Amino acid sequence: MNIENLPQLTQFQVDEQPHIVVDKEVCRSCDHRACVQTCPANCYTWDEENKLLSIVYETCLECGTCYVTCDKGALDWSYPRGGYGVCYRLT
Amino acid sequence: MAKYFDAIIVGAGPAGSMAAIKLARAGLNVCLLERGKYPGAKNMFGGLLHNTPVLNEMLPSFWERAPLERHVYKKVLAFMTDDSAVCLTFENENFEKPPYNGYTVFRPVFDSWLAAEAVKEGALLLCDCTAEGLIVKDGRVIGVIVKGREGELRGNIVIAADGVLSFMAEKAGLRRDFRTRDMGVGIKLLLGLPEAVINERFHLVRDEGADISFLGATDGIRGGSFLYTNRESISVGMVLHLDSLKATGKTPYDVLDGLLQHPQVRKLVKGAVPLEYSAHLIPEGGIRAMPKLYTDGMMVVGDAAGLCYTNGLNLEGINLAMTSGVLAAETAIHALDAGDYSARMLSLYKKKLDDSFVIKDMKTFKNAVGMMHMERLSQAYPRVLAGILENIYRVEGKPRSKLLHLARREALKEIGLKGLVSDGIKIGRALL
Repeated sequence: MNIENLPQLTQFQVDEQPHIVVDKEVCRSCDHRACVQTCPANCYTWDEENKLLSIVYETCLECGTCYVTCDKGALDWSYPRGGYGVCYRLT
Repeated sequence: MAKYFDAIIVGAGPAGSMAAIKLARAGLNVCLLERGKYPGAKNMFGGLLHNTPVLNEMLPSFWERAPLERHVYKKVLAFMTDDSAVCLTFENENFEKPPYNGYTVFRPVFDSWLAAEAVKEGALLLCDCTAEGLIVKDGRVIGVIVKGREGELRGNIVIAADGVLSFMAEKAGLRRDFRTRDMGVGIKLLLGLPEAVINERFHLVRDEGADISFLGATDGIRGGSFLYTNRESISVGMVLHLDSLKATGKTPYDVLDGLLQHPQVRKLVKGAVPLEYSAHLIPEGGIRAMPKLYTDGMMVVGDAAGLCYTNGLNLEGINLAMTSGVLAAETAIHALDAGDYSARMLSLYKKKLDDSFVIKDMKTFKNAVGMMHMERLSQAYPRVLAGILENIYRVEGKPRSKLLHLARREALKEIGLKGLVSDGIKIGRALL
């Protein structure tokens, strides 16, 4: 299954302000970066060359997996503002 | 808009909407907050709305009006190895008449319908409202701070029906931080298939539906998979324990892809068109991982209260949620009558819940949590079963063994005596 295509199946109302903010300094020294691996929507990317964790919050399914698997306190995680974020039609 | 309510319910999911119906019917001034554009916009589950007595009581013959997909007639438990499936199929004519034993539903559709029933009864539904915090005065919860339509809502009682991550319970100091071992992530792909193809492929007629639970096929990660038939689509997905997922280093969508590529599953999903992809956490820690259920001015219901359990055979949550919503509403009605919103008064909710099937079942299967954490459950045991059956059925002109000998050989090969004994104790404590 190509993860690249999955977010296109789901509808999002994208807010200009992110609902998850990562503390990139903390992530730099993280020994597992479970967020990158466990996120079902592949929102996190680790850039090994620049030692930089980045997030695409726009396709976040708001499931909370990263919120639970991150044990470094690197995530400032909240639900998007009302009406924004993922918007399931059927599922 | 009146900004003072008898009760404020955070979350228009099944628990919240049932609470709202109950309270509004009692003539109370109820506000139902929903962070999605519509109720259900943020909600996802495997696919099965279980028969729930409080739902039947409060909305009689709801199955004639509610937007349901199919009633579940056929139950299949499938033990999966990499190349085989051992299936136990149960078809029962008693599941063919109302009130049906369960229905497949689309949550955005069903949750919207249920919330609309609450609105019909007089509840005020406010969508696009994310509850950001609680207003607490003298140690008592007296309202909710809303992000989105910035503002404050005040009320005598707050019912936190804000789902598995319940930030309301956290802000009220009712829950601990989550542990990966107490959580599962559910991921699901909705696949479109013509109605006639589904009926033919799963041997169904009319509104009959199938519920297939797969044990195994999760690529070595603890958890299970599922397939539910909707009218013109099938829901295929899995639940993966977060601690196990994290430990294996695999990605959820690759594991789901593995299920879809499994030789026996591939035939079931052949020709299907992907329609929607979704993910949600599931409280899997059982009764020991539940938060405290009430405090001064507030009660916690549904997933927010960790009301969910599985014992490998039953997977229940939505029915527990709806029941808890109604019991919290009954408590709120009592509290409002008495003008007493103290924790002591609201402890009645816990008592009602303890006396109901909700907590009784969670207690009955409290040891199932440990069983579901057995690494061998979703890997070695399906291999033992498949190994036994392959030996039974394979014809190759060699002398056969009797069943007990065969079973012992397969079990010792996969698990070993020590493992069998310790697993036997765990399974026995969980289910027997």
